[in-house]
Amino acid sequence: MNDFANAKVLHTLPWNSAYITSLAFIGNDRVAASSKNGEILIWNLAVPAGKTPDPVRRLVGHTNEINRILVTPDGRTLISVSNDRTVRYWDATSDQGEPGSVVLNDGFLPKGVTEKVDKVPPPPPPIEVKLIVQKPLRDLTNHTEWVMGLAQTPDGKTLVTGDDQGVIIVWDLPAGKELRRWQATQWIASLGISPDGRTVAASQHTPFIRFKNGLETFVPHFHFWDAVSGQSKLDLSKEIKVGMSAVVYSPDGKWLAAAHGNTQTEKNEGKVFLIDPTTGNKIRELAGHPVGTNDLAFHPDGKHLFSSGRDQQIKIWNLDDGKLVREFGKFADRGVWIGALSISPDGRRLAAADRAGQVLIYSLTT
Amino acid sequence: MIQDLHQQHHLSRRSLLKSTLVTAGGMAVANWGALFHSQTIAAEAKRSGKRCIMLYMEGGVSQIDTFDMKPGRPTGGPFRPIKTNVDGIQICEYLPKMARHADKLAIIRSMRTKSVDHGIGGYHMHTCYPSSEKFPHPEIGAMIAKYCENPQSDLPSFVKLGPAGCNAGSGYLGPQYEPFVLGTDGKLPGFANPSAPPAVQDRRAELLKSFEERYAKQRPAEPFASHREAELRTIRLMRARKAFDVADEWTKARERYGNTPFGRGCFTAVKLAEAGVPFIEVGHDGYDSHNDNFPVHKANLSVLDPAWSSLLQDLQDRGMLKDTLVVWTSEFGRTPAINGQGGRDHFGRAWTVVLAGGGIKGGQVYGASDRDGFEVAEKMVDEGAYFATIYKTLGINHRAKHYLGSRPIWATPEGSKPIEELLA
Repeated sequence: MNDFANAKVLHTLPWNSAYITSLAFIGNDRVAASSKNGEILIWNLAVPAGKTPDPVRRLVGHTNEINRILVTPDGRTLISVSNDRTVRYWDATSDQGEPGSVVLNDGFLPKGVTEKVDKVPPPPPPIEVKLIVQKPLRDLTNHTEWVMGLAQTPDGKTLVTGDDQGVIIVWDLPAGKELRRWQATQWIASLGISPDGRTVAASQHTPFIRFKNGLETFVPHFHFWDAVSGQSKLDLSKEIKVGMSAVVYSPDGKWLAAAHGNTQTEKNEGKVFLIDPTTGNKIRELAGHPVGTNDLAFHPDGKHLFSSGRDQQIKIWNLDDGKLVREFGKFADRGVWIGALSISPDGRRLAAADRAGQVLIYSLTT
Repeated sequence: MIQDLHQQHHLSRRSLLKSTLVTAGGMAVANWGALFHSQTIAAEAKRSGKRCIMLYMEGGVSQIDTFDMKPGRPTGGPFRPIKTNVDGIQICEYLPKMARHADKLAIIRSMRTKSVDHGIGGYHMHTCYPSSEKFPHPEIGAMIAKYCENPQSDLPSFVKLGPAGCNAGSGYLGPQYEPFVLGTDGKLPGFANPSAPPAVQDRRAELLKSFEERYAKQRPAEPFASHREAELRTIRLMRARKAFDVADEWTKARERYGNTPFGRGCFTAVKLAEAGVPFIEVGHDGYDSHNDNFPVHKANLSVLDPAWSSLLQDLQDRGMLKDTLVVWTSEFGRTPAINGQGGRDHFGRAWTVVLAGGGIKGGQVYGASDRDGFEVAEKMVDEGAYFATIYKTLGINHRAKHYLGSRPIWATPEGSKPIEELLA
């Protein structure tokens, strides 16, 4: 079994004009990254040895931060959800579009722009790359506020989205047609849909309203919802009392993993929960990342779970015994977060994005 | 304008010593208060009849995500500006109800303040002085209570509801003006419920008074009168406790204010102001968004917007807004730059406060930050000018002189001037 002992960084892809919010592989050789500025860049990783890939495509259309992206199982469509209240479909494979460019370093570097300096340093020379600019295939405007949650079934037939008004929508994915919706009580922080398409697992969490003696209790909730009726099938709120940054079903449906994002607190919390997708029983609590876990990805081998955190680290967990197999990065309790993860379908590459605006491409081969 | 009362306020070393001696044993509050609140002083103080409600955003609220937006700039963040009921003034899309009250607001976008951490920032923005002076400056609530209170009122003159950004209290003004602090729900604690009916309380008070008067004939020191007054004030407070009980009305009001502790605090503040309390501070915590600034602020603004707008509307509907200054402030702002945690950090170089209501010319923006919000571009406002403006609108001499021992101290530092353009 691969213990990932030979894992190493293949490429460091800069995009420090904005932090990266989500990643998705398109096949095994291309990776897409979304940003807080509402754009998506796609890199072709198949480059000669020793050369760093440049982005080849830029997807424009969102007008606000993109929260999540995914690529359909057939690799043809990329789907994104955003604070601009839309769900957008993009052609994941086409190289057709308008010629354009992107400046990879036109943002403020975090360093030097806080209260403690008298003057913001001058910007570095621009790093400009020529590429193809593409527009979305379809805009879905059924949500009225920030769309936070996004998941699909492995057969590519069903999509589910959730927003910060507590609305969950189940879609016919190929048609882009709303099938049903229901109303939860708080922000949908993250969600997943079971491989059979029957259950939506969703974490509800309204950030930073920490009423000690509140008239309303904004405590986080965690529910299994019936994806057909919209009824709550299981309320796990008493077992899972924190807000989740990621809720992910394993492709084989054996596991449901949920990551405590530790949103808006500075306590040392950030466990990863492994849950029985049928009973809702907590099977295992992984230590996770002590200052918050940001994202999760199941490895295609069905035996490992990858996590990334607010501690600048990536960790690999053995699903059978819950033990930590490997960790990358140097721990920092207030460092640059590793915000997003994606693993290529063949399991040979890992993409991880940090909040300084870099995408790291790891080789996971033995 | 209230006259400078430094002669009456002079607290001599001898009297302080005498007070301290008498108060040994737990009666310091009443006694020290008496030194500052003698009948002589009370009789000479000219009460302005004005009130102030301060909405304090504990943790440091982001100016760029509320009232000084930078759309299209790298510092702008995901929130978008919306129009208000005043041409040319735009505010955050998540303050839609406040956008309908912009004609009442004076938005100061050019605050530059020196204390950029929570403890020291909270102190500075409550007292007008840096905590590094190691001097017992009073909070703004104590100062306003001193000059705007009705000495005959049964109610406290300085009330704090919810999270507090400062615990300096009444400082050199003495315990007479210490804040009356309530929890987030605004209810009085259980011990405030009197154990005896009002008639019995009155008889007890009379009995106490007669005993004390007989005793004081032999000992004419003022602290005894103060002790008696403190007890009577307590009894009066118990009688006035219904002013704090807004439960019945809250059932109807909570839909407008939002069913949150801050919403209820704002509603209680209106009721207390209506009942005659000259200064009420309502705290709203949770703005210290070093991480996840945008979801944090979006969630918090959903609490702030209905509460603040309903407070302004109710003050207007009751005919109180012209005499009630409403201040929206914080200990500092937040950095224009967005850090590696999706957060904004502490920032005092160019941030925003908002004034509304009594004495303020609404519908205006005063000052400006630069295009990315890193520096003040026009009409810098420091702590002294901010406090001086508030005091002037309330009819308080912003250079009122007080003494602690032989040391003179002023309500605002030398050179502080009110911002005349903001005054109605």
